Amino acid sequence: MVSRELRKIALERIERLMDFAKKHALERPEIARQAVLLAMRIAQKARLRIPRRYRLMYCRKCGTPIWSPNTFTIRIRSRRSTHITIRCNNCGYIKRMLVKKKDRSRK
Amino acid sequence: MYKTLTAKNILKHELLGLRVKARNMRNGTVHEGEVVGETMKTLKILKDNGRIVTLPKDIYSFEFTLPNNEKVLVEGGVLIGRPEDRLKKKVRRW
Repeated sequence: MVSRELRKIALERIERLMDFAKKHALERPEIARQAVLLAMRIAQKARLRIPRRYRLMYCRKCGTPIWSPNTFTIRIRSRRSTHITIRCNNCGYIKRMLVKKKDRSRK
Repeated sequence: MYKTLTAKNILKHELLGLRVKARNMRNGTVHEGEVVGETMKTLKILKDNGRIVTLPKDIYSFEFTLPNNEKVLVEGGVLIGRPEDRLKKKVRRW
């Protein structure tokens, strides 16, 4: 069990690491990737989820941040229900997200 | 913006991104720059001339500049430990 104070510290460490990764992603992508991996390990240790605003910003398999150049291919596909595929060009991991259609029916 | 990083809990907190002045305790060499990497026994520092140096924690003392411009002098020996394990590390009171 992690105390409340430690969770607070861990959350802020994650925030700081993500900001750090964003800052260095363009010039030193490898350093940024290491920082994201460290943030993932800290979240594991402290048993908390990475906030959603950061969770969409990196590859969950290899940790490549989205801010580095030429790292992700994003496509809209409609073979099954319409979804977005986000493919990491570093490791090949594919993340799929459903697209919800706007409800146009009149009530 | 960042509230919880103080001199009291820096041993459990994140060092990446802080400005640091590292001094070798044996021969007095000084490196100054930003922390960009951490392993169990070393710190990687990006110096102002663009080079990255890897320094062992146990023979250096580090003077970190916190986001609120406070300066903290830490002996490297107490920082030894994997960065994610330092979160739960128990520290003797001083």
